[in-house]
Amino acid sequence: MSERFTIKLDGRSCRAAPGETVLDVAGREGVSIPTLCHDPRLEPAGACRTCLVEVAGERRMQPACAFRVRPGMDVTTASERIDRHRKVLYGLYMADHRLDDAGLPEENGSANMLREQAARNGALALPPVNASRTGRPADTNPYIRFDPELCILCARCTRYCDEVEAVSAITLTERGASTTIGTIGNAGLLDTSCELCGGCIDTCPTGAMTEKKSYGIPHAELEAVRSTCNFCGVGCQVDLNIHAGRVVKVASPPPGETVNDGNLCVKGRFAYDFIHHEERLQVPMVRGRDGELHRASWEVAIRRAADGLLAVRAKHGADALGFVSSSRCTGEENYLMQKLSRAAFGTNNCHQCAAT
Amino acid sequence: MNEFMDKAGAHREEILERLEAEGGVTPETVRKIALATGVPEADVWGAGKFYSLIREPGRRVRVCTGLSCRVAGAAGRIEDLERAGESREEVSCIGQCDRAPAALDPELELIPGDGTRSAVLPDDTALPVNLGGADTDGYAALSKAREAGPEAVLDEIETSGLQGRGGAGFPAHVKWRAVREQAGSERYLVCNADEGEPGTFKDREIMERRPHLLLEGLAVAAATVGASEIIIYIRGEFRDARRSLETALKEAGDHLKQFNVRFANGHGAYICGEETALLESLEGKRGMPRLKPPFPTENGFRGKPTLIHNVETAACVPFIVHHGGQHFRDLGRTGAGTKLYCVSGHVTRPGVYELPLGITLDELVKTAGGYVGSPMAFSPGGASSGFLPMSLRSLPLDFPSLDKEGSMLGSAGVVVLNDTVDLVQAAGWQTRFFDDESCGQCAPCRIGARFLRNACGRFLADGDPEALLHVDDVGWEMEEGSICGLGMVAAKPLTSAMKHFPDAFRRRR
Repeated sequence: MSERFTIKLDGRSCRAAPGETVLDVAGREGVSIPTLCHDPRLEPAGACRTCLVEVAGERRMQPACAFRVRPGMDVTTASERIDRHRKVLYGLYMADHRLDDAGLPEENGSANMLREQAARNGALALPPVNASRTGRPADTNPYIRFDPELCILCARCTRYCDEVEAVSAITLTERGASTTIGTIGNAGLLDTSCELCGGCIDTCPTGAMTEKKSYGIPHAELEAVRSTCNFCGVGCQVDLNIHAGRVVKVASPPPGETVNDGNLCVKGRFAYDFIHHEERLQVPMVRGRDGELHRASWEVAIRRAADGLLAVRAKHGADALGFVSSSRCTGEENYLMQKLSRAAFGTNNCHQCAAT
Repeated sequence: MNEFMDKAGAHREEILERLEAEGGVTPETVRKIALATGVPEADVWGAGKFYSLIREPGRRVRVCTGLSCRVAGAAGRIEDLERAGESREEVSCIGQCDRAPAALDPELELIPGDGTRSAVLPDDTALPVNLGGADTDGYAALSKAREAGPEAVLDEIETSGLQGRGGAGFPAHVKWRAVREQAGSERYLVCNADEGEPGTFKDREIMERRPHLLLEGLAVAAATVGASEIIIYIRGEFRDARRSLETALKEAGDHLKQFNVRFANGHGAYICGEETALLESLEGKRGMPRLKPPFPTENGFRGKPTLIHNVETAACVPFIVHHGGQHFRDLGRTGAGTKLYCVSGHVTRPGVYELPLGITLDELVKTAGGYVGSPMAFSPGGASSGFLPMSLRSLPLDFPSLDKEGSMLGSAGVVVLNDTVDLVQAAGWQTRFFDDESCGQCAPCRIGARFLRNACGRFLADGDPEALLHVDDVGWEMEEGSICGLGMVAAKPLTSAMKHFPDAFRRRR
């Protein structure tokens, strides 16, 4: 089964393994095939049709994202036929998409892959088809915005919600030109099983799913700074998106690069308001005799805490103390906390807030 | 239980039937079903909203707007209902083209119009399907097939040259062998009785007149490929046909006891006549076609090898078993066997006529009592086959001859139009049909069909051929880029009309 073999890609011999798709091999070989509905975390859908290639012996063009390689297969990724196909296809997408003044797919802040691909490849100019798709303008959830006029129905969001998150809060609904992304009874996301992980935003190729808080800030003006989410000990990597010196959005690094494989939870993706919050503690503080908090050095602050804990132990015994660590701590930090509790102060009264 | 079923929830297959029983999709019915089945609410909602018979609750008359019904005055029927203040819905072809203009009452029962009895040929035992004959329940062909064994049956099917009668004309024996040769004993036989191609109503007649013949054909196929479960996916609007089959199944008794035969209702989606969309529907999902490969023979219902046959294909099987493959093959003229040709529109006796595969339009219409008025155009195989001019009236109505003309035999739903019809209007109706019935999964079909509908509408409104600019490009892309056969042919009505009737598309004002 695992015997490797060769296939031909644009006339070149390439190594391939059973189970791989044409897109897998092309990616490895540096052959660029445009895709819109492809996300490596999801089962291939072959629905957007941008990645169609010619396979010798197949009458119809086949989706590179889903078509499995076979020994000796001969694949062509660039031809007159493929070029015409893409031009008309992009033209159709654009006839069903909100365009900007330049006549290109609009960007609402988020990157729009359709815009980039259509501009690069060229597209047939067609009149708008005026296929009305319903959105959920009354959805009051604080984070996720759906703009049906920028939706290309690639279903990455619904498939992500199902296949990766196993939440299935959103679905393809209606049929034909009216097909849209919906919820039961067109309810707001807060009234569904949605966990507000925002993975739909992350996987959306066109900006139809966007973050409400950072809506409209052009992606080109954002600077990404890689960091580690500190909401729990998993160590998810995040890209803090900085605009004018402030974090305005948190994105997940692309799938396959980091431990979280492009995923984040509601806290990691949306709970970043504390970063610039005016009440955020940024330096150690100790309470003075005047009852107010005063800035102090770490040495002074730690000494003050230690003195207080030791005084309680001296007066009431070690079991009068209890140590609770935070769910934001790592395993190592939790270990140190219980060490402090048991070895330094001599009590088993230690707990972690996420334990039940 | 396979991985797929776990993920979908074991009760997923029930949700569409449950929605039907609850009277349609509402947040309340969806919540109730989600609770009972464990299927996520959004999935129940999204699946239900796909199907026109369940997506909106409420009682209403459904008026057919298929080509034959339009030609026969569907508009008048709609106006009458409007005047009477009756709740109504204009729906895609309901497969009653021989009874045009047709409508269904709120219980989906056919509202009798004039001449509700379809015309067929008189009893003739030389005909394989023989719609006019007595439908006996002896199941002699099944006994004979059992005695002969699967290999012998397969050889006869191969010799017969039987091609799928659903539209694609794929050789039956290739599918049978493909399923039989699969590893693993869990295999299914699915009968595609979701007849929905506008102009086609032959499967309906088989089910109503020869239910035992169909069940026997299915049983022979199931026994041959090693399937124990037979699922008949039957168009939701075909209440009479389902009752007929249910009665026959009871009568068949012990003859079919080795099989688990069950019915599944369609819920109003033409696309579910496409075999992989049908499978999705059977699994309780939106009827969106799957990518092929893999084909259902390998990865079908529940991911298992599945033989899917059209009603007519299965109904040919008992004759082949009785009389041998060669005999069946010799009944055809340019292709193998006989074919049930449906004919409607401007002919004297619309009906279903079993004739040698490869007869011409003139011969067919002669059987149907002749043309009404002066014929101008015809569709040889439903909406999907587009329109052909009368200059091609002597073309054999078979698979390859029509392919060569850029048309298709398809389901052999022949519609004849005389010169009282505005062909642009007719093309517009067909184009609208495909737009209404596109599943919406892939852009070439979803957006392309809407583009064509708009283009046709604009030309009809202002008579300026500018509206038709790029129809060829879009039609080409729909054929090349769509996932399934619906998208591939959805431009045919308009592009074929423009090709063969250029005068109709010149500037009108």
